[in-house]
Amino acid sequence: MNWTDESLMAFVDGELDAPQRADLERALAGDAVLQTRVAALRVQRQRVAAAFAAVLDEPMPDRLADLLANAASAPSATVTNLAEARSARAQRGAMPGWAQWGGMAASVVLGVLLGVQFAGRGGDASLAVREGRVVAGGPIERALSTQLASASASPVAVQLSFVDRAGTYCRTFSTAAVAGLACRRDGEWAVQTLAAAEATKGGAMRQASSPLPRAVLDAVDQRIAGDALDAERERQARDQGWRR
Amino acid sequence: MAEPSQNMREQLAALLPRLRRFGRTLARHREDADDLVQIALERALTRAEQWQPGTRLDSWMFRIMQNAWIDETRARERRGQTFVAEEEGENVGVSTTDAQIDAIAVRKAVAQLNDDQRAVVGLVLVEGLPYKEAADVLGVPIGTLTSRLARARETLQTLLESPHGARA
Repeated sequence: MNWTDESLMAFVDGELDAPQRADLERALAGDAVLQTRVAALRVQRQRVAAAFAAVLDEPMPDRLADLLANAASAPSATVTNLAEARSARAQRGAMPGWAQWGGMAASVVLGVLLGVQFAGRGGDASLAVREGRVVAGGPIERALSTQLASASASPVAVQLSFVDRAGTYCRTFSTAAVAGLACRRDGEWAVQTLAAAEATKGGAMRQASSPLPRAVLDAVDQRIAGDALDAERERQARDQGWRR
Repeated sequence: MAEPSQNMREQLAALLPRLRRFGRTLARHREDADDLVQIALERALTRAEQWQPGTRLDSWMFRIMQNAWIDETRARERRGQTFVAEEEGENVGVSTTDAQIDAIAVRKAVAQLNDDQRAVVGLVLVEGLPYKEAADVLGVPIGTLTSRLARARETLQTLLESPHGARA
């Protein structure tokens, strides 16, 4: 019997009734092609579920938790459409630089900055505050501007390069102390997100394969337009000075 | 209007992570997804008496979210706004862990599906709803649901198997 894609799909989704399921299981036993089709559907289901699984562990935004917290309080700032919500967010975004860093306490940021400077080893500061923005300097700036993701171990690793929704280049980086995301703004690498680096073995040398903290991956997810650059496009972008 | 019971608030709070996850399959970006969850929660709290005890609260919330998303899509069309286009690009083998890279690739592929397809993928493949339940959420016959799901899967497979990664 010919099994349609829809019946195989229903099988994988646990939607076949018992007799159909028994029929299909019998057919599967001796049919490698059928087994492959079923396996592909299973793998796909798992991949899709896994791709969104991390959302469950993300910190809950206060605005959502607060809505349910107090039985007596009516929702105060009612959102009627997304455009309104976005403009409200934009206003919230007009805060000092520190406050935009995902609610990180200033002391943590300070500690992280010190860590970067020590990790930088070059004697020059790795991050600088310029006109209210944090921009990459020193070895981090050099790595972001010149280093390809395929580079072998170095004090600063660069992992993903991509074009963000504003149409500029962004890259993730990590040192022994911190990991972050920086995007090209006005000829500098403006640091968008910074987080403590994931602890790894191997001392100060960073590999491009070092795992990135979730905060950085989330920032990538929010900004990326399309996919990450492949090696060829990354090289072209670098050779053109990260201008678009 | 009846005040939503404390019990319902607690149940909604327990559902919140899944609502955000479903939102992420409908809206492509987190802030839009959370806005959608917020709108849905506000609607649910003002219409709490419309929920039938004994039916699934998650499905009820998914339906509210889906409707809110449709409203939003139409409103944007009226305003002449377009959604942020997914830029064509190529996938890479470098960086982070394989699982993280795969997750990004899969989310990008899902983001390229149309609204109807993203909803079925979210409900069935991500939230694990039975076909019947998912069809009820979307207000479509079960045959429509399964054909949408089959098309969505086929498209996803093509996007994910392409040597250049997710490409329109």
